[in-house]
Amino acid sequence: MTYALLITAFVISTCGLIYELIAGTIASYLLGDSITQFSTVIGVYLFSMGIGSFLSKYVEKNIAFTFVQVELLVGVIGGCSATLLFLLFNQIDNFRILLYSLVAIIGILIGLEIPLLMRILQDRLDFKDLVSQVFTFDYVGALLASLLFPLVLVPYLGLIRTSFLFGLFNLGVAVWTIHLFRNELPYKNTLKSTAYLLIFALVCGFAFADKLMGIAEAATFQDPVIYSTSTPYQRIVLTGNSKDLRLFLNGNLQFSSRDEYRYHEALVHPAMASINAPKDILVLGGGDGLAVRELLKYPSVQTITLVDLDKEMTVLFKNQGMLTRLNQNSLNNSKVKVIINDAFIWLRTTPQKFDLAIIDFPDPSNYSLGKLYSDTFYKTLKNVLKPGGMVVVQSTSPFYAKNSFWCVDQTLRSVGFNTTPYHAYVPAFGDWGYVIGSLAPFKPASQTAYPAGLRYVSADTLPPMLCFAKDMLPTVSSVNKLNNQSLVHLFESEWGEYVDAH
Amino acid sequence: MSTPISRAVFLKVLAGCGIAAVAGKLALDAPYLKGSKEKIRCRMLGPSSKIGHRLRQAAGNEKVSGTQSTRVTIIGGGIAGLSAAWWLKKYGVNDFIILELEKEVGGNSASGSNPYGAFPWGAHYVPIPNTESLYVRQLFEELKIIQGYNAAGEPIYDELMLCHEPQDRLYKDGAFHEGLVPKRGLQTDESAEVARFFELMLSFRRATGSDGKQAFTIPLDLSSQDQNFIALDSISMSQWLNDNNFKCKPILWYVNYCCRDDYGSSTENVSAWAGIHYFAGRRGTAANSEPNAVLTWPQGNGFLVEKLKAPLKGCIRNNLMASAVKQKGNKVLTTCLHSDTNEYSAIESDFVIFAAPRYVAAHVIKDQKQPDTAHTHSNDFGLSYAPWMVANISLRQLPDSRGLAPAWDNVSYYSDSLGYVISNHQEISTRQKPTVITYYFPLSQMQPKAARQKLLQSTEEEWSRIIIEDLKGMHPNIEKDIISIDLWPWGHGLIRPSVGLIWGETRKRMKEAKGNILFAHSDMSGMSNFEEAQYHGVEAAKMVLEKLES
Ligand SMILES: Cc1cc2nc3c(=O)[nH]c(=O)nc-3n(C[C@H](O)[C@H](O)[C@H](O)COP(=O)(O)OP(=O)(O)OC[C@H]3O[C@@H](n4cnc5c(N)ncnc54)[C@H](O)[C@@H]3O)c2cc1C
Repeated sequence: MTYALLITAFVISTCGLIYELIAGTIASYLLGDSITQFSTVIGVYLFSMGIGSFLSKYVEKNIAFTFVQVELLVGVIGGCSATLLFLLFNQIDNFRILLYSLVAIIGILIGLEIPLLMRILQDRLDFKDLVSQVFTFDYVGALLASLLFPLVLVPYLGLIRTSFLFGLFNLGVAVWTIHLFRNELPYKNTLKSTAYLLIFALVCGFAFADKLMGIAEAATFQDPVIYSTSTPYQRIVLTGNSKDLRLFLNGNLQFSSRDEYRYHEALVHPAMASINAPKDILVLGGGDGLAVRELLKYPSVQTITLVDLDKEMTVLFKNQGMLTRLNQNSLNNSKVKVIINDAFIWLRTTPQKFDLAIIDFPDPSNYSLGKLYSDTFYKTLKNVLKPGGMVVVQSTSPFYAKNSFWCVDQTLRSVGFNTTPYHAYVPAFGDWGYVIGSLAPFKPASQTAYPAGLRYVSADTLPPMLCFAKDMLPTVSSVNKLNNQSLVHLFESEWGEYVDAH
Repeated sequence: MSTPISRAVFLKVLAGCGIAAVAGKLALDAPYLKGSKEKIRCRMLGPSSKIGHRLRQAAGNEKVSGTQSTRVTIIGGGIAGLSAAWWLKKYGVNDFIILELEKEVGGNSASGSNPYGAFPWGAHYVPIPNTESLYVRQLFEELKIIQGYNAAGEPIYDELMLCHEPQDRLYKDGAFHEGLVPKRGLQTDESAEVARFFELMLSFRRATGSDGKQAFTIPLDLSSQDQNFIALDSISMSQWLNDNNFKCKPILWYVNYCCRDDYGSSTENVSAWAGIHYFAGRRGTAANSEPNAVLTWPQGNGFLVEKLKAPLKGCIRNNLMASAVKQKGNKVLTTCLHSDTNEYSAIESDFVIFAAPRYVAAHVIKDQKQPDTAHTHSNDFGLSYAPWMVANISLRQLPDSRGLAPAWDNVSYYSDSLGYVISNHQEISTRQKPTVITYYFPLSQMQPKAARQKLLQSTEEEWSRIIIEDLKGMHPNIEKDIISIDLWPWGHGLIRPSVGLIWGETRKRMKEAKGNILFAHSDMSGMSNFEEAQYHGVEAAKMVLEKLES
């Protein structure tokens, strides 16, 4: 029995340290700055353990009974701690209060464990052995936990599963203790069934950890989700309230119906209005049909070819009532031809020629997207333009990612385009940038060339859009190539900085 | 619009045009890997080792069903044989036959494809060539891999073929880092040693010998004969590292990795000249990339095989093994065995370009002086070959990993394998779909003979297990994403540049023509790569052209 109880010391100390590490790691994931997070979590935890130890003296009778209760509590709270932190991160205003309360509760309970255990053992060992043995097992457990956590648990199980697993160990200790003291414990059956119930709950948690993670992510949207689907390429989520419809792809905002007109007018009209009677237009990306809606305002247009990778995205924007209202049913217009293909691959084989190509790809946040902003891509693009043709490229924010923005500009110039960079303020995104690449020098259009009814772009608002303040000028210069992907590197560091700071 | 940082995903498309479908399709009837919860199909493919064994039994006086005649017989349709043909055709000789024992040409540069893409079975890249690698440059111009030259005379390469960024990453201390040289977490003295090593290699790269030639170049036969450098061939690379006081683990690991990567052998079994050549022999530059960039394709050097093969229709005879080659007067008689029908036939020609591995010659070439004896050892040079296992693994998606995003070449500091290459890396699609990775494992830990036995006797189950466990070191969750594992054991993968082979007597004798039989395989360099294979192919063709004229 003595030996069995010493093993218990080992298990509970391992569990205790694991909870502390989980809290520290999640705090660094969610809040950043791992040094601060880890040291505050450790501090609060150790201090709470002190409180727990102090409180232990108030436990007078029935120590084994209290010990079992403490184990049940540690098991369920510690076991659910990772899930709680992840799920509630987006739900509550002050995450730190939740974090430190949770750490404190677990710390207090853990602080109670060892003193109680020692008192259970005090009649079985003399004091010298008792202290030496309990602490030996305690510290060995700590070593094991600190090694297992980074090397095995996080990579193989992940945080949520790890926390459930160790919760189960605590519950196991509870069951074991109930068994050892089966002749002395009051409410034995109640304790037992509580323990089994909790074990069942944690096993379920362990088994459905992936689903839990999914719920944690779904909780990130502000407005009610009115439609969502997963295509092979992305997760499409539409959220809406009475005034605002928003589209998210893989959790990233694509547009808000309140201000998307600014984004799309700025994308289309400066280039489009400057061309004399444009006929054949190419749109790459932009399966939402919103750029096409703007293009259809020009009566000279004869064909619009839209190439998008994601069939379901275009089907959605052809058929869903709320969305066809937004894009004015543009994708069902007889001038529009939708092609489902990879833009780069399609471009290399098409014999068609265009007056204007509108490039509305996702930002260059990974290497496969980075290829769509490379000089090789722009060379290919040049080949599908008619003499005097143009392209316009959405080029991320010249404020948040100025070097990325100017890298697009320089890459277009490196393959022989004349470039005209400009930017527009879109509240949902901030200051947003575009670059026109033209085979002949770009001449802004006069007001008569713009279609009627525009709300943002006009002959008067264009000149300031062409102006860049000092804080938007580049500090490095580079051409994005397939074999350097310098844009992805720039983009990652620039947006990374911005994301870290908030 | 904005899509802030998400895990980089590499996306792919079926490479459109002609791919040598050595192992086409996913074999839907291949068995599932036992003992795995996942349904992983695995099968053992690979070069036909059985038919090769029949060589030993062939005596050279088998009954032949018919005799054909041609001016030149090329034995072996690897890079060397195909390059010989390329050169002959370029100079107006069209009357030749290429004999290839496999059902497709390509040899060590063979490739395959399945519904998820094309992939190599062996060679997967060519570094941008040196100025001295004239034939490579010439071929690359013809194939428009080189698209022009800038004002400084540097070639402009097709950028879809230059290896896209990120090129390589190394798994060490729990995460992937950029590049293959261990850099993170080094002690100052270790970093200093790494730096000293590269400085020394740079000076070798710049060095010229007393004969005015570059100390190390490609093709290696053009290198300086200065004793100061040649002497390096008589010690092993590990000896050289030790003599020069390179002791720390990161640099020893790195150099050993490079030797295993290029020669399939560890530093103890590679001569110092060869070991240094890896770092000092390449000085290619390009107008549109960093120096020392590499050219690669989804199907690896199978791309070049396809291009070389395309104009040779009608000249290539597959499933035909040369079993005996004899000089008869001023003609050469080649006996060949059809692997499908088991029949023999003969070809009479003015010349034979022997572009099969050099050890095969010992069994095939029958000496005139002792006619019809099966084993004439005048051709057996005791060459040593490194056995390899190559596996193409189809994955539902690229495995998660910590640190740097997936690169073309992905290596672990802790593994005996060389890691894997993502064959879809060069594709320009952003489509998310299953992908194929090519895994390389030279059996350099064991003696070649024992290793060869292990390689060929272990079952697909055993190999698949070894590979999955190895990959789990980098990607703990990879098993659930595996669709299939196709294995390709190379019994005699690559010649090993053992101590003394490159600049000793052996190689001189290996290169000597035997009457009208000329030798062209990359073995003739003592090390195997595209440039050397092509060089010997072209040189042999040139000699034939000279003799045909006179
Ligand atoms: C796993 C692996 C990876 C490699 N990676 C690279 C790389 O990335 N880059 C690089 O440059 N090099 C690489 N190599 C080196 C590769 O060997 C060379 O690039 C090149 O393919 C060698 O060509 P070869 O013609 O000299 O020889 P082989 O490829 O050996 O060609 C010989 C041909 O002869 C045939 N043959 C043999 N016996 C007979 C017979 N009796 N009758 C008829 N035909 C016969 C064979 O089937 C074969 O097709 C790699 C090699 C291996 C094994």
